[in-house]
Amino acid sequence: MLLLRWSKLFLPVFFVLTLIGMFIPTQKVVQAEGNEKTSAAFFDKEVQPILQAHCLNCHGAEKKIKGGIDLTSREKLLKGGDNGDVVALSNPETSIMLDAIRHGERKMPPRGKLPQSQIDTLEKWIKMGVPYSINSSGVVKHHGPPKVDEEARKFWAFKPVNISTVPQVKNHAWVINPIDAFILAKLEENKMVPAATADKTTLLRRLYFNVTGLPPAPKEIESFLADNSPDAYEKRVDLLLNSNQYGENWARHWLDLVRYGETNSFERDGLKLNAWKYRDYVISSFNSDKPYNQFIKEQLAGDELEKTTRDSMVATAYYRLGIWDDEPADRELSYFDQLDDIVSTTGQAFLGLTIGCARCHDHKIDPFPQKDYYRFMAFFHGINSYGNGSASQRVVDGEIQELKGIVNSSRKPDEKKLRELEVKAQEYDRDINNINQKIGRIESDFQPKLPGGQIDDFKQDIHKPLLFEKHLGKLISKEEYEKWKELIKQREELKKTRPLIRETSLAVIEQGPKARDTFILVRGMPAAKGDKVDPGFPTVMVPPTTTDPKIPEPDAKARSSGRRKILADWIASPENPLTSRVMANRVWQFHFGRGIVRSSSNFGYMGTPPTHPELLDYLANQLVANDWKLKPLHRLILTSNAFKMSSKSVPIAVAKDPENDLLSHFDLRRLSAEELRDSILAVSGNLNLKKTNGPSIYPIIPREVLAGQSVPGSGWGKSTPTEAASRSIFVHIKRSLALPILQVFDSPDPDSPCPSRFTTTQPAQALALVNGDFASEQAKVLAEDVLKTVGNNSSNQVAETLRRVFQRHPNQDEIDRGIRFINDSIQKDSLNANEAFQRFCLLAFNLNEFIYLN
Amino acid sequence: MQNFCGNTRREFIWQTGAGFTGVALAGMLEDSFFKANAAQPFNPLAPKKPHRDAKATSVIFLYMYGGPSHIDTFEYKPALNGMDGKTIDVKTFGRGGKKTSGRIVEPRWKFKQYGKSGKYVSDLFPNLAKHVDDISFIHSMTADSPIHGSAMIQMNTGKIQSGAPCMGSWVNYGLGSENANLPGFVVMLDPRGGPISGAKNWSSGYMPAQYEGTLFRSQGSPILDLSRRAEMSDPQQRRILDTLSQYNSEHALHNKDYSALNARVASYELAYRMQSSAPDATDISKETLKTQSLYGIDNPKTAVFGRQCLLARRLVERGVRFIQLYSGGAHNDDNWDAHGDLEKNHNLHAGETDLPIAGLLADLKQRGLLESTLIIWGGEFGRQPTAEYAKGSGRDHNAYGFTMWMAGGGIKGGTTVGCTDEIGNKAVEKPFHVKHLHATVLDRMGLDPERLTYFYGGLDQKLVGVEGAEPIKDIML
Repeated sequence: MLLLRWSKLFLPVFFVLTLIGMFIPTQKVVQAEGNEKTSAAFFDKEVQPILQAHCLNCHGAEKKIKGGIDLTSREKLLKGGDNGDVVALSNPETSIMLDAIRHGERKMPPRGKLPQSQIDTLEKWIKMGVPYSINSSGVVKHHGPPKVDEEARKFWAFKPVNISTVPQVKNHAWVINPIDAFILAKLEENKMVPAATADKTTLLRRLYFNVTGLPPAPKEIESFLADNSPDAYEKRVDLLLNSNQYGENWARHWLDLVRYGETNSFERDGLKLNAWKYRDYVISSFNSDKPYNQFIKEQLAGDELEKTTRDSMVATAYYRLGIWDDEPADRELSYFDQLDDIVSTTGQAFLGLTIGCARCHDHKIDPFPQKDYYRFMAFFHGINSYGNGSASQRVVDGEIQELKGIVNSSRKPDEKKLRELEVKAQEYDRDINNINQKIGRIESDFQPKLPGGQIDDFKQDIHKPLLFEKHLGKLISKEEYEKWKELIKQREELKKTRPLIRETSLAVIEQGPKARDTFILVRGMPAAKGDKVDPGFPTVMVPPTTTDPKIPEPDAKARSSGRRKILADWIASPENPLTSRVMANRVWQFHFGRGIVRSSSNFGYMGTPPTHPELLDYLANQLVANDWKLKPLHRLILTSNAFKMSSKSVPIAVAKDPENDLLSHFDLRRLSAEELRDSILAVSGNLNLKKTNGPSIYPIIPREVLAGQSVPGSGWGKSTPTEAASRSIFVHIKRSLALPILQVFDSPDPDSPCPSRFTTTQPAQALALVNGDFASEQAKVLAEDVLKTVGNNSSNQVAETLRRVFQRHPNQDEIDRGIRFINDSIQKDSLNANEAFQRFCLLAFNLNEFIYLN
Repeated sequence: MQNFCGNTRREFIWQTGAGFTGVALAGMLEDSFFKANAAQPFNPLAPKKPHRDAKATSVIFLYMYGGPSHIDTFEYKPALNGMDGKTIDVKTFGRGGKKTSGRIVEPRWKFKQYGKSGKYVSDLFPNLAKHVDDISFIHSMTADSPIHGSAMIQMNTGKIQSGAPCMGSWVNYGLGSENANLPGFVVMLDPRGGPISGAKNWSSGYMPAQYEGTLFRSQGSPILDLSRRAEMSDPQQRRILDTLSQYNSEHALHNKDYSALNARVASYELAYRMQSSAPDATDISKETLKTQSLYGIDNPKTAVFGRQCLLARRLVERGVRFIQLYSGGAHNDDNWDAHGDLEKNHNLHAGETDLPIAGLLADLKQRGLLESTLIIWGGEFGRQPTAEYAKGSGRDHNAYGFTMWMAGGGIKGGTTVGCTDEIGNKAVEKPFHVKHLHATVLDRMGLDPERLTYFYGGLDQKLVGVEGAEPIKDIML
């Protein structure tokens, strides 16, 4: 099988050299006086972190210097090692060090090649004549894990967001907005030009997919082409950003980041009740253009805000989305595993930091001592362990938030209405209790009669019907079992009438006003408690003199410690150098296919540096300046000339800039799994856009796939055909059972956060789209719909089908080819006209022009 | 494999998207990748040079789901003779929690010595016992969890939590596949059902989907969506593919920078070929009756597992890297999880697998394949020496000590390493952890467990964990 993906890191060396050749004057060996400052800054900012992370352990440690090669100062480096010179100043290209980091004859670091960007940096440094810093008198003192010091604080990502000056360019005409100036300036600097503007239909298709995840319908294309007003495009941008489909598309990106799943993954993979309410919360947050800082605060501390709302309570399901072992071998370890999942996810999703790597020891690459991990974890240390069912459900007070009034304000609670609601709710409680008691009686009568291990098995809901049936007529009568089934059904029905005052949702729950004490755990082991720590932000991100954040003493009756709010405020602050950069970068990523920082959840030393750092800071500032709203940022990007470039590159671009780092053109991309499934439904006229919220759907999963479950079919419900044709974001996410059509096109494993999807090309995808049930059924639907639209004429049928899948008018050759296919299918393969056309529709789903976006 | 029409290197860039997950892969793939011809797109399943001399090229993991009892199968504990029913002080930990005493259940089968090595094997495995001189037994295995779900995830991925790639994924990631027409990691399930946690047991976790285990059915169409639809003939399908290729080639001409488009065109041809090559691999009618009988296919009791073992051999012959067969599925006594009646349970599952496994070893050996095929046998843990309940012979789970065995590629036959205490409760001599077993498998396949890394979530992830693990030298040739 083949996979096509993989990154720039695999680019062969000679390309790298071409790049280097572009940026660096090759013969430059001796530093000019005036350059000293910049080269020292370059060393401090870019070279030293790499040396520290990857080289100094062996080539700078006090005890042993491997190979006699010491990298701690320029002088020592130039002295060479046991086997001679390491760097050849007169002919840098022959430097042994260069060969080693490229993994030529020698291989350094021995455990694995550095990312290409870091190799590039070191090459540049060698060719500059290995300048060291003037600040540290040219000596790197430290070895071992990176330290939190002034050097570390100077790393670009930890420094405050700069106010970028919009650069001057020669070709003013190309600049529609400042984004274009940043892009063009770099291109001009490298003697390159941007690609031509994409044609109108291509651009419209790109716009629709990027904003809504759906293709434009033929009439939407026609109306756009017919609109000759100067702001036709801008109007369409606004229209799409204001459609429900925008939130449904962008929520999916967020769900990837927070490893959203609706079940617990392994063992019994139990259902996370009401997880879908979190999904709806995310969709509506995007659609209402909720300020991103508020979005952060609600998820991290929605229950601790001054004014909680139904939504802010639902948002805290964020803490409950991770995998969970329902029968852990070691409860304490499992508890810390859950906290670790929260620390890692929070670090990556909101801050672009892999602070989760410092659980067992100091971070090996980034400046996060182990202590920082536990200080960060302490913010979450009031949270109770997740539990199935009601253990992680919380009343979200949907209906009565407003009625309760606001403490210390003129708004008094509506006592009368509250009482009425409460009385009704109590009736409901009583009914539920009644049924529960009846069910309980049957079960407790049956369970003790079971042999051996089945007593334990019976504790799990999924085993209950199986065990009843196994012992039917012996340990339980048929009537009793029928009664039990009826009661379960009644309970499900009754639950649907649950009064809003009792509405519950998956939510965070703390043990009370006092959080647990937090200790550093030696090697991450719960039994090996080290020093006690208090909540604190990563040291490298706060000035050296800062003391730990003050956590206000919570009220004795408070339901939580109030710690998470402090963290949320800090993350959501405009002063936080990472939050706005990380989010602006993600918005860019999902429009251009890659972030300005490609490693969009890793802004640390091992991350890829920004290709356009000034632009990144500009966008981050824009985000904050627009009250953290995302839609203005989208609008800015979508209306730039940069976004409108064709995917056809200018001739020199491929040779000069093979990775398109400089963004001289738009990169073609494959549709995501969801985009593809939704597109198939959409062009068939079958997509159900009426479903905009609510419990998840269960499209049919083939029996062969269900056979992989220990109880085939368990946990996968039935949806009506109409429901099952809803958008993919509403498909139930059962961690141990993925919908094949989504999985085969690289939907992520929901056990861990996914900052960017794989794009694989493999025969299983071809098999799914040619032989699979879903594609074949939809081909029939498409055929019928086209027939209804254009009638029996096969030329019209082909034209209409191609128009739908290409989202443009097909040319005559393309139509003729389709007609030939249909005629041959009828004459040579003995199909009737309908069958032949259905085959053509199936073929249409497999067209690259349908599956890829220009 | 495929040469996709001499394209530029653009696909790397294009495929990148924001993907960069393979940072450390660079370290591992080094030569094969960086010296790749510029016109060849990167194929992650292309055969790769191992780190070092490989002793084995394929793995067959015979997975005994539920946890077979070591003291009733391969670890002889004469001290237990005559102790049946005695209550003793012993620290155990199973699904019933931690206990400090229990009632001894004496092993229910007799042990006899076999082969030159004189290895004791219980009457559960009379056929397999004849091969003890090819087998190396590890009696001192330990795992971190005595609970099925997490213990299985650990046996398959090294971690007790889901989300990491399986051993089969790692091996394919490290070595690629020698047969492009078949998946590199094949899983065959017990027809009674999948194991607990289902697909998590063959997931590629944070690695791309190519490395995921492919479910192979031993009858009918082996792979999901592999067979043409009933209503479609071969010429009809060919017509679709040919016409499709015309459209797609034209589209590719307009998008010359992106060779991934050609790769997709090629992937349809590969898929087409798989339609015939995979069923060919599972067509056992091509085997002689004698061979079929060697695997017990002529006996209803052993037919299912026998067929799977024979398929495993046929897949090994075709270059499939990693094949995992499950004995036992679903819940309770449908697998080796003998909580109730030990005898009934183990007689059933050993009875179904003894002859087929013996047949597999014999057949591989006579074809000269055993020395390049690494066989692993075992479950997620063993069972306790004491009874789980007041009555009956059922044993609870035991991760403190259990047996696994290996044979074939690079394994020293006729050896035994480590042991549990005299009642079989806890590994006492040379205890090994699951990660040592994993390290051994990687090592025998020519992969350095320390160097086989994948960068994810800020860390160089390894099958053997951050701290690493040494292979079990005692059993290695």
